[in-house]
This record gives sequence, structure tokens and C-alpha cells, in this order.
Amino acid sequence: MSDEVVLTVQVNGERVRRLIPASRTLLDLLREDLRLTGSKHGCDVGDCGACTVRVDGLPRLACITLAAEVQGASVQTIEGCGSKEAYIVDALDKHVASQCGYCTPGIVLCLASLFDDQADADEAAIREALGSNICRCTGYTKILAAAREAAASRSSA
Amino acid sequence: MLPLAHFEYLAPTEAVEASRLLASPDARLVAGGTDLLVSMKHRLFEPRLLVSARRIAEMQGIVPAAGWLSIGASCTLRDVSRHGIVQQRLPALAAACRTVATPTIQAMATLGGNLMLDTRCMYYNQPAGWRASLGYCLKREGSVCHVAPKGRGCYATQAADTVPALWLLGAEAEFVSVSGTRRIRVSDLYREDGMNWLTVRPDEVLTRIHVPLEDRSVAHRKLRTRQAIDYAQVLVAVAAPAQRGEPWSAVVSSVAPRPILVESETAEGLAELSFRGSQPLSTHLASAPWRKKMVRVEVARAVDALLRSHAGSG
Ligand SMILES: Cc1cc2nc3c(=O)[nH]c(=O)nc-3n(C[C@H](O)[C@H](O)[C@H](O)COP(=O)(O)OP(=O)(O)OC[C@H]3O[C@@H](n4cnc5c(N)ncnc54)[C@H](O)[C@@H]3O)c2cc1C
Ligand code: SF4
Ligand code: FES
Ligand code: FES
Repeated sequence: MSDEVVLTVQVNGERVRRLIPASRTLLDLLREDLRLTGSKHGCDVGDCGACTVRVDGLPRLACITLAAEVQGASVQTIEGCGSKEAYIVDALDKHVASQCGYCTPGIVLCLASLFDDQADADEAAIREALGSNICRCTGYTKILAAAREAAASRSSA
Repeated sequence: MLPLAHFEYLAPTEAVEASRLLASPDARLVAGGTDLLVSMKHRLFEPRLLVSARRIAEMQGIVPAAGWLSIGASCTLRDVSRHGIVQQRLPALAAACRTVATPTIQAMATLGGNLMLDTRCMYYNQPAGWRASLGYCLKREGSVCHVAPKGRGCYATQAADTVPALWLLGAEAEFVSVSGTRRIRVSDLYREDGMNWLTVRPDEVLTRIHVPLEDRSVAHRKLRTRQAIDYAQVLVAVAAPAQRGEPWSAVVSSVAPRPILVESETAEGLAELSFRGSQPLSTHLASAPWRKKMVRVEVARAVDALLRSHAGSG
């Protein structure tokens, strides 16, 4: 009877309406149903941040979010990042802050939501926010350098 | 990938309707889902019905009323920690919200879900395959406790970050069920049993958390291995006496199924009494003797912080 849900959401600005099993996670909706594979399956249990997307502007771990719980909301994934987030992507690129790249989409969305909220985010705020995302390649130094540069370019813009 | 088992899903608009649905066995309330979904992926339980708190208006909003702050159980830890009155009048609560997991999780997780968080154990909070390989434990399907094989009980710990601060701030939790509404002090919410750790029934819905705005000086401290993601090795809150003649108090948590209340005539004595009163067990990250010593250290640090802020303001 109620093990399926009619879900209506905006994904990267486009309206999506689907009948889904109630047990569908937001991550599987994005990756399997909508073929938006930029959001990554890392740990699958909320530890690593590789699946971070934005829901109504706030960061959210898609692996431990039921798709049914974002009914009516607006979801942004890395595929929906463009000129508005370019200053973050460019800074990560410049500092070679992405190696295997698995953590990168989550980091972009985490930082985008930090800077939209706090244009003048300082070192402590950046470190606190990035505590949400694990990177197994870079050792974080380059990611932090990129985040600092993104913050500077943002606040001077 | 850790797929979820199938379940039914309903999103009622009233807490009493949610309570009616939760009366059926195998039903669970989902708030932020940050612990529930992980537990379901690990097959710690497989509910047949999930009842969403998402549309229940009486569980939302933060409103001051007659000397109390009434916080909706569905408010996220991020919203609570950023609220002006919480920051100014209840800084220990704001600090406690900000030590939970990570900022991303704080934007999803609710204050109600934190108070109702399942007790934790390194042998229980593991994937299904891991638990099957070792052999299940008492808390689910097994007949022994891997922590204390000779014991009869479960020692899974109360690990919710906001509990010690809310306890010492004198907070009360409001529950709605088909049998009516009742308010329970946070200090009366927990039991000394890791398998059955709450004093409320599964069909009672936590709707609001009421915190008195009395300007009690409370300090929150959390000791953890990494400064993000990790649960506490030791969690403490300390309250200075509100009036002359009252004791100093500490609530020590993350070391037993129920937080431990310690009282001392003097500020200096509180840390030693807390040390003597706590019996933490070893975890895969820290030994029991070290955790026990750190109870003393963390309580002493909290006392120091309060004494310093008093010296500063007076
Ligand atoms: C990587 C990671 C790290 C974490 N670290 C911490 C940490 O450091 N400290 C910490 O305290 N927690 C931690 N958590 C656990 C969790 O995120 C928080 O405790 C959070 O506050 C739980 O709230 P929620 O809204 O997500 O609850 P949910 O997961 O939705 O629910 C948790 C439980 O409470 C019940 N429940 C929820 N709301 C109500 C209500 N209103 N009435 C009745 N029952 C209810 C649910 O049925 C369920 O059994 C961590 C989780 C993850 C994934
Ligand atoms: S303390 Fe509880 S959860 Fe941990 S092994 Fe023993 S019975 Fe299981
Ligand atoms: S995949 Fe979601 S947090 Fe790791
Ligand atoms: S670049 Fe490989 S995990 Fe971060």
C-alpha cells in the first residue's frame, strides 16, 4: 500500500516526478534512476561525505537520506554546478587538490554551501566545514589551500 | 552498497497520529535519519513501517515562552546552535550541538533524534556481516555480551552529545501519544540498561524540548580522537552552583548506558569524584584506564572554564 511514494523534486533546476520505492535513498535516486553519477558512493553510512549534495541550499549526505524525505525540495548535485561555483572548482584545479577525484564533488558542494552562507569564512570555519569530507589521496593541505583561495576570491568579488 | 530492506512509509501531519502508527510493532519514527538509516543499513533493525516527522508542525520552531525556550524536536542541530537566544543564554547547548559528528550532519540531524539516540557499542554498531562473523550479541539475536561475557546485561553507552548539557540546564522533554501529553526531565529519560535505555514507550513521540532560561553557568566538553565525525570517548557537562550552598555538579556520559550525575561541595572535589564514579570500558580507539583518567581531566577543564568566565564577568 504505502511502500511506494510519488516523489516530486527539483534536481539541478529540473522538475522530476517519479514513483519510487519508499526505501530508495536520495543517492540511489540520483545515481541509478537519474544517472547523475557525480555524487559518489563512498562509505554508504554517513562517514565520508563523498555523497554530499545540497538540499534547499544546505549540505546533505545523500547516502543516509531517504528520497521520500526531500519531497518538494530543490536538490543540487555536482552536475548542477556551473559558473556560480566555478571559483571553487578553479581553485581546486589550480592547487591540484583532486587526485583520484572521488571526494571532489562532495567537497565542492560542501564549500559552496559554506561560502554562500559565510562569504568571509575564515580558516577555522573552512576547517570545521571540511571536517565533513574525507579525502584519502591529497592529505588535505592542497584542499585547504584551494578553499582559502576560493574564500579570498569570493570575498573580493 | 548497503541496500535498505523494504518498508512502508507514511508522513502524518500530527504527532498523535504518528503515535498511533508507532504503536504497531516494527514501526519507527524517522527524523533526520542520520542514525536510523545507518542502523537500518547495518540491519540492526528492519522496521516494516517508517513514520516521518517531516510534516508535523508541532515539532518545529524555536519559541521563547515565560522563562523557557521551547525547541521543536525536529529542529536541526545547526538551527539550534545558530539561534540567537541559544547562543546568548544557553551557550553550552550551542556548543554541544556543534560537536556532533560534522557540520553536514548537524544540518540534517535533529535535537529530538539526538535525545532519542540508540545506545552504542563497538560490537553492535557494525555491518551485518561483521556481526555475523563474530557471533551476535545480547542486544540483538545473540546470547552473550562480547564486552562482559560473564555479565548478564548490555553496557552499550549513551553517546548523544547534547544530553549532559540539557540535563544540567534542567531541560524537560515533551512527549505526545494516544494516551496524552507528558513532560519528563531529561535527567529522568535514561535507564541503566543498554538494551532498554529509555523510560518512555516506543509509541511516545518527542515533540518539544523545553529549556529554562535561568542563566545557569554550564560548560560542555567532548573528548574524541578526531575533531570531526567521531563520537565521544568522554562527554561531560559541569554546572556551577546557582546559589550559595548548592553543590557543583557534573554529568559524565558516553561511559555507560545512563549518564552519571556527580555532585561536590567544592569545585576542586568535582573532578576526583567524577573519576571515582565512572567505569568506562575499553573501545577500539582508547583503553578503559585512559578514558577513566580523562574523565577527571575533562571535568577539571570544564570547572576551570566556568571559574574563568566567572572571574571575567564579575
Ligand atoms: C558519521 C556519524 C557520526 C555521528 N557522530 C555523532 C556524535 O558525535 N554525537 C552524537 O550525539 N551523535 C552522532 N551521530 C548520530 C546522529 O547523527 C545524531 O545523534 C543525531 O542527532 C540523531 O538525530 P536524527 O534526527 O538524525 O535522528 P534519527 O536517525 O532520525 O533517529 C534516531 C532515533 O531516534 C528516534 N527518534 C528521532 N526523533 C524522535 C522523536 N522526535 N520522538 C521519538 N523518537 C525519535 C528514531 O526513531 C530513531 O530510533 C553520528 C552519526 C553519523 C552518521
Ligand atoms: S554491551 Fe550490549 S551491544 Fe555491546 S556486546 Fe554487550 S550486549 Fe552487545
Ligand atoms: S557515501 Fe555518504 S557519507 Fe560516505
Ligand atoms: S582525491 Fe582521492 S579521495 Fe580525495
